[in-house]
Amino acid sequence: MPLFVAGLSHRNAPVELREQLAVDEDKLRELLRDIAATGIVREALILSTCNRVEVYAVADVPGEARATTFRRLCRHRGVEPAAVEAVLYTHADGDAVRHVFRVASSLDSMMIGEPQILGQVKDAFALAQSCEAVGPALHTLFTQAFAVAKKVRTETEIARHAVSVSFAAVELAKKIFAGLDGKAVLLVGAGKMSELAARHLVEQGAFPLYVANRTWARAQEMARALAGTAVPFDELATALATVDIVIASTGAPEPVIRRDTVQRVINGRRGRPLFFIDIAVPRDVEDTVDSLDGVYCYDIDDLKQVVDANIRERGREAHRAEALVEREVAKFLARLGDVEVIPTIVSLRERLEAIRTGEVKRTLARLPGATPETREAIEALSTAIVNKILHAPITKLRESSRAGSPRSWLALVHELFGLGRQ
Amino acid sequence: MHQTLLTLAIIGYVAATGLALAYLVQREEVLHRLASLATMAAWVLHTVALLALALDLGRPPLGSLSEAVSVAVWVVVLLEMWLERRYGLSVLGAFVLPVALVFSLQSTATRPLIGPTLGGVWLWVHIGLALVGIAAFVLNFAGAVMYLLQERQLKGKRLGTLYYTLPALATLDRLTYRTLALGFPFLTTGLILGVLWAGAAWGSVFTFDPLALSSYVAWAVYAATLAGRAAGGWHGRRGAYFAILGFAALVLTLGAGLFLPGRHGG
Repeated sequence: MPLFVAGLSHRNAPVELREQLAVDEDKLRELLRDIAATGIVREALILSTCNRVEVYAVADVPGEARATTFRRLCRHRGVEPAAVEAVLYTHADGDAVRHVFRVASSLDSMMIGEPQILGQVKDAFALAQSCEAVGPALHTLFTQAFAVAKKVRTETEIARHAVSVSFAAVELAKKIFAGLDGKAVLLVGAGKMSELAARHLVEQGAFPLYVANRTWARAQEMARALAGTAVPFDELATALATVDIVIASTGAPEPVIRRDTVQRVINGRRGRPLFFIDIAVPRDVEDTVDSLDGVYCYDIDDLKQVVDANIRERGREAHRAEALVEREVAKFLARLGDVEVIPTIVSLRERLEAIRTGEVKRTLARLPGATPETREAIEALSTAIVNKILHAPITKLRESSRAGSPRSWLALVHELFGLGRQ
Repeated sequence: MHQTLLTLAIIGYVAATGLALAYLVQREEVLHRLASLATMAAWVLHTVALLALALDLGRPPLGSLSEAVSVAVWVVVLLEMWLERRYGLSVLGAFVLPVALVFSLQSTATRPLIGPTLGGVWLWVHIGLALVGIAAFVLNFAGAVMYLLQERQLKGKRLGTLYYTLPALATLDRLTYRTLALGFPFLTTGLILGVLWAGAAWGSVFTFDPLALSSYVAWAVYAATLAGRAAGGWHGRRGAYFAILGFAALVLTLGAGLFLPGRHGG
């Protein structure tokens, strides 16, 4: 299958060039029909996201198809072809298969494991299908790519750990409290990020939610928005005694949560842990609070460090995912290759079987007195000879297809055994 | 017969321990599955070995400290397999199996726990109950160690492999509490029976027997922990420290039984 993928991505092309080339849906349809009409590609699919513009195609002359496609793409977008040509990468056959699998599995994404890319690939596939640009080859390839992407997601943890500060805070809370069901949250101060973190916590079952703010009206407003309860700012200590998670993000120049307050609160909590998420700068929770027993206090830098650790963790999982993709590529190519050589193997078998049965029949006709045992022995002998002869050429054919070059071998086998046209 | 089976079981535990530790570091799911299989296989062999031994002896295999420890290991592994599934704690094996392995290695030494003249159902019950208690405390110890490791990760904010592998603090705290609540009644009843039996057989409860004395210390530590948990909210780190202290006392108890002269040893 003369398959290739050509394109540019965040890996090698600057964002200016990517945004210049990015194509909207209507243009994509037009372009797909355009290149299909030239007849230089048998099948084609264009993937255009903010991080990559790629053409997947099946063509008899890949080089020509690639050049024409990108010339047209550039003309559509008014981009200088030379600029694109300089950063364009091309993968053919097995490498192209690997590329599709990696892209769909989010292994080639800027943030490994991000969930959007699979949807984008699926959309591109649907669009190409609606333009009738997808044939059996791309259909098989992309259906398999979707399956591989799903497998990577479920069998590795590349998408597991949070890469945003607010989600990282939620994960930490889960590592402390196990489930968040019924864990009380106190929001001190306002802010986009703290509101986001609070929403995440509530989504995971945290309840009830209290809101404290120096401005009483603001506290009430936020409490309404988040379905929580407003508490007066000077009653923070009372609230601290009952809640499990505190998200602090005031604009105060001095810490609003002091060690002696927390110390007093801790004594009455009977060992229940208290988790501070301090995303204020300057910090809202006094430095020394962190050293108290049963208190976990993460400021914005700590949370960023957690995010970094999570990203490293994804990178580690990416290695496992790459190995999984590699196995899937090999499996896919083997299946594909077998599809190509199977008709030849079948006709080869049929040819030799025909010779064998013909010869056995003639021999037995000349041996009228042969016992059933003799007949059986002759059958077995001839079958064994045929199988032994077939073994090497069939193995060779399968191997050659896996290596990606079955054509000359197929021709040779056809020629040698007189199998007629391929 | 039972000796061969026991050796095979120990080989199985060695393999399971290695796989469980490898899983802790590598986090490859296949290692966990292999470790579980090895644990299960070794435990089945161990079961058969104990049954064979009991048939051979015509009595429960609790007559020497080594026999008793072997039974304790059997209970530990059973509890480990159960709790691992119950709490979804795939790393539990890495913390429990090494302890079980150390115990089962020493159980190859033989030394009679009770004289041939002594016996009776209550004696077997005394030993059996104490053993189940000890087994639960092995799990209690493992839970405490895991708790302290995870708590260190969260306090130190330098998240390493253990942060990702170990479960939540609350889960580990619950595991330590439950195993304590499970082990304590067994140990208590076992000890009471022992005291009563000692009063009857030795004439005095407080004869100098290192194993007995050391086990009272362990019991006191666990009693204090349980009381602290129930009344004073000794959650978390303090509970974990006490679990480790109690376990140290238990190990001393067994050590005393093995190496010091006394009523429990020959």
